[in-house]
Amino acid sequence: MNPAHMHLLLNHVPTIGFAIGLVLFGTALLLKRSDLRRAGLVIFFLAAAVTIATYVSGNDAREALKETPDISDPLMQAHESAALVAFAFMQITGFFSWIGLWIWGRPSRFARWNTGIVLGLSILTFVLMARASYMGGAIRHPETGAAQTIPLDPSVPTLARSWGLLVPEHSWIWPACETIHFVGLCLLFGVVLIVNLRLLGVGKTVLSVAALPQLLPLGMLGFSLNLVTGMMFFVATPEQYTGSFFFLKMALIVAGALNLLYFMLWKGYEEGAGIWTKFIAASAIAIWMAVVFCGHMLPWLGNSF
Amino acid sequence: MDFLVRIEESGFCQWVREADSLLAFPGILLLHTIGMGLVVGINATFDLRILGFAPSVRLRAFQRFFPIMWMGFWINAITGTILLAVNITKLTRNPDFYVKLAFIALAVINVQLLKGQLFGQIPTSDEAARDETPLSTKAKILAVTSLIFWLGAILSGRLLAYVGRSSGVF
Repeated sequence: MNPAHMHLLLNHVPTIGFAIGLVLFGTALLLKRSDLRRAGLVIFFLAAAVTIATYVSGNDAREALKETPDISDPLMQAHESAALVAFAFMQITGFFSWIGLWIWGRPSRFARWNTGIVLGLSILTFVLMARASYMGGAIRHPETGAAQTIPLDPSVPTLARSWGLLVPEHSWIWPACETIHFVGLCLLFGVVLIVNLRLLGVGKTVLSVAALPQLLPLGMLGFSLNLVTGMMFFVATPEQYTGSFFFLKMALIVAGALNLLYFMLWKGYEEGAGIWTKFIAASAIAIWMAVVFCGHMLPWLGNSF
Repeated sequence: MDFLVRIEESGFCQWVREADSLLAFPGILLLHTIGMGLVVGINATFDLRILGFAPSVRLRAFQRFFPIMWMGFWINAITGTILLAVNITKLTRNPDFYVKLAFIALAVINVQLLKGQLFGQIPTSDEAARDETPLSTKAKILAVTSLIFWLGAILSGRLLAYVGRSSGVF
């Protein structure tokens, strides 16, 4: 099983998985059912997390198919660009869905606004993602006849390629993004440590567990900075981010998202955590340390630089 | 200069630079990154708390996390010394390196001033009062300067790989 294989496995999550979330969310709004609405938000958030792994593994699939006859590279590039746009909207939808989960159960004027934002974004994301997957299907399935319906002009660089060309043209972009990537790392890692060490018992006499959710947006800010700057690296030099080691980093990020959901949905943040909750808290620290490890070791264990 | 060359060419430094082991250069740099996460992560969260984020988190709760922050600082002092030793002739000629050291010094002085400002005046027996009293403008200014100094340290540290070209990979 290589990342190209994973791309085939995971590419149904941003489309079919997301559609299930959209149906739940729409039904919830029509029937005014808040439990269904929450389920919709959870699915949007999870779909956004898995889409990170889906998007990056597409790169491996393209590398594997590049030399194959009858495979159109311009078509793969068109799919890549369509997927990049859909990916961006998917991440924004995931972000607002997470905000919706974070303010859940708290009196907030923003909650109604947020529901509207998530609804609008999720419909747009679904349309863009359906377009991207239609183009992706056309690459290897001539029986659908889809390839003929997509206009291609190989002389014009696609959106993803022109973005990729922009980065080396301006020598300051890469170091600036690296600096911001480190700042994001610090914010995310700091919050992960404080929250999970507290759940493991550090500072229990001075810090109430109920106060911990207030720290989460700072961690999410750090993650968002790293997602944006990480994508700058990825789109600029996709050939550096292939192979199982980089995919492991992305898979660990998905595990980090699941870990966060465990506390936000089931355990809340309550006093007197049991051994299982402590295990999950310890695993959060281990997961994000491993993410730092994988990112750092890319030049030695992966294919970068 | 001869002295610096002798440090750089010592057996240990050669091993760190050239060994084909993840425990050598890659591992030491990884520890330096994780140490940065501990120091800057906890300090930045503290600064942002002073500036009004996460108001339910009591300020004195951070006192329990400061030992972890200092642990990160000492990890970085040790790994940073090794990373300096293996490239000492180039780094000591790189002005950016002194900029980085200055930012770290300022940030460390800053956190001590901030702790004095917040936890210094009130006697320890009156711990609850610390979180009741509104934060002074001076504390808020120190929180902002702390964020700026750490950002400066990260920026100048990252730029070491671009200004003056100090080592092979970074």
